Amino acid sequence: MEKKLLHTPEGVRDIYNDECAERLLIQDRLHSVLKLYGYKDIQTPSFEFFDIFNKERGSVASKNMFKFFDREGNTLVLRPDMTPAIARCAAKYFENEKEIIRLCYIGNSFINNSRYQGRLKETTQAGCELIGNNSVYADAEVIALLIEAVLSSGLTEFQVEVGHIGFFSGLVKEAGISEAGEAELREIIRGKNIFRVGEILESEGVAEEMGESFYRLAQLFGNVEILDEAETLTNDSTARAAIKHLRDVYELLKVYGFERYLTFDLGMLNEHNYYTGVIFQAYTYNVGEPLAGGGRYDRLIGQFGKERPSIGFTLTVDLLHQAVQRQHIELPRPDEVKTIVYDGENAVNAVKLAAFFRNSGIAARILPAEQADGVMGTDSITASPQALERYGIK
Amino acid sequence: MRYITFALAKGRLAKKAMEILEETGITCEEMKDEKTRKLIFVNEELKLKFFLAKASDVPTYVEYGAADIGIVGRDTLLEEGRKLYEVYDLGIGKCRMCVCGPKSAEEHLKNHKLIRVASKYPHIAKDYFYNVKHQTVEIIKLNGSVELAPIVGLSEVIVDIVETGATLKENGLEVLEEICGLSARMVVNQVSMKMENERITEIIEKLRRRDMALLKSGQEGMK
Repeated sequence: MEKKLLHTPEGVRDIYNDECAERLLIQDRLHSVLKLYGYKDIQTPSFEFFDIFNKERGSVASKNMFKFFDREGNTLVLRPDMTPAIARCAAKYFENEKEIIRLCYIGNSFINNSRYQGRLKETTQAGCELIGNNSVYADAEVIALLIEAVLSSGLTEFQVEVGHIGFFSGLVKEAGISEAGEAELREIIRGKNIFRVGEILESEGVAEEMGESFYRLAQLFGNVEILDEAETLTNDSTARAAIKHLRDVYELLKVYGFERYLTFDLGMLNEHNYYTGVIFQAYTYNVGEPLAGGGRYDRLIGQFGKERPSIGFTLTVDLLHQAVQRQHIELPRPDEVKTIVYDGENAVNAVKLAAFFRNSGIAARILPAEQADGVMGTDSITASPQALERYGIK
Repeated sequence: MRYITFALAKGRLAKKAMEILEETGITCEEMKDEKTRKLIFVNEELKLKFFLAKASDVPTYVEYGAADIGIVGRDTLLEEGRKLYEVYDLGIGKCRMCVCGPKSAEEHLKNHKLIRVASKYPHIAKDYFYNVKHQTVEIIKLNGSVELAPIVGLSEVIVDIVETGATLKENGLEVLEEICGLSARMVVNQVSMKMENERITEIIEKLRRRDMALLKSGQEGMK
């Protein structure tokens, strides 16, 4: 056999045996939490027209997508992100604007990030979208759902960090910063590049007092107390409304009983202008990047039809699984399989025994004695006539 | 308590950075032994770990969370373009990233002719020529002694770090354009910053207080 054929391309991998069983168990648990909140399953195609995921709608840069052409020459991409596809569905199939739609999914997405060796190009994403409501109740529900989903995997030490786009845009408006300045400042605050804030403020001619807020913004993360401090930094109505909103989210999560997992970062800004309100990310130990992220995107569906407020999250199952493994969290072993060992003449007995177990809902497999070395354990039986008798099989 | 791990760019920078950290009370005695063959150094009391890595690998260690904190030059950060929090300017190892070449090459930078640019920093060079100067260039990646390239005719100009400019001068080259200033930076993994917020913020705060004190005593000295 050619050895070369045994390899998978860079960035994709096989998952098998115990790891696969564990993965599916985690996915099952995620799925049942999503169902418990009343979310309905949806599946969208693995590839779509490029335009669905372009700059205004997607969260992934064009150069990082896998692209190819159909027979007519249209550009297609393997989905890099689920949300735009679901927004498209929402505009297409759910036309009743008053209806609240709750959708959830588990599926694979593809990002062509060749520069980052050691990072997967195909990952499994689990997530949800709540469409048609822009209240704080919707925001709190989706955050609570994310917390419950992460908890279902067995992780206990993690945090979900919440921010609000409105705070930054309020500050920018108040300081009268230009569009180009805003883009640069966004980049700097995102990188918590405190010492570079000054450069921008100077070139934009921002008053010193106002400038101080931006210095603080890069450090404005932590417990709920930071909201008090944030409030003292601004008089802008948008920014203050954002703080009030975050407080309301916090109060509601107390009702869910999840406030201990919650932290805040008012300097959390997304790369693309995709989100419009609350945004959040989940972190845990031993995984260097956020497990999950999400937020409110009230203007995305409008790009496919009429505007509908929506909020959702995406959780990378591969990272969650990695965290479970690295934090040595024991998942229950998937049910053992009864092994029935036979030699030549007992083969028929083995088939009968296996059928008997399967009928009683117990997984069973048959193995010829010469290939059974090393798998004989407590759960294996020899397919002897005595065994048939023991189980009362004729 | 979990360990907080530092990745330091090997060489002069690591030594200087450790001196500064020591002033703020972050020490590692194990590291001072010059003959040691250890790869990881531990301060059990403060629950800190340190290791040395090639400069260009430091951002990688930090991005993946193998190290929580990294200390590395801004040149490496710009070249690698990783997703990190760049939280502090240590103010050491100050130098500049420049376009250099013989005086005669100056006119190549004024028109939009396609020229060849040799550099150890292809991404920085490309970003500068494409996005700042809007000049299409051909980039040649080299791994050392970049000054040679314009002398032997491999390229018209080079993009490289300039500290004093002595090497350039000796070889008949000069700084033609300055791209940006450089110095050593402290970078932090995005998840570590949140999960170990208190301890990491304290480290940054200590550095800031040290610098403020230095600045103050410097100002008083001037009077």
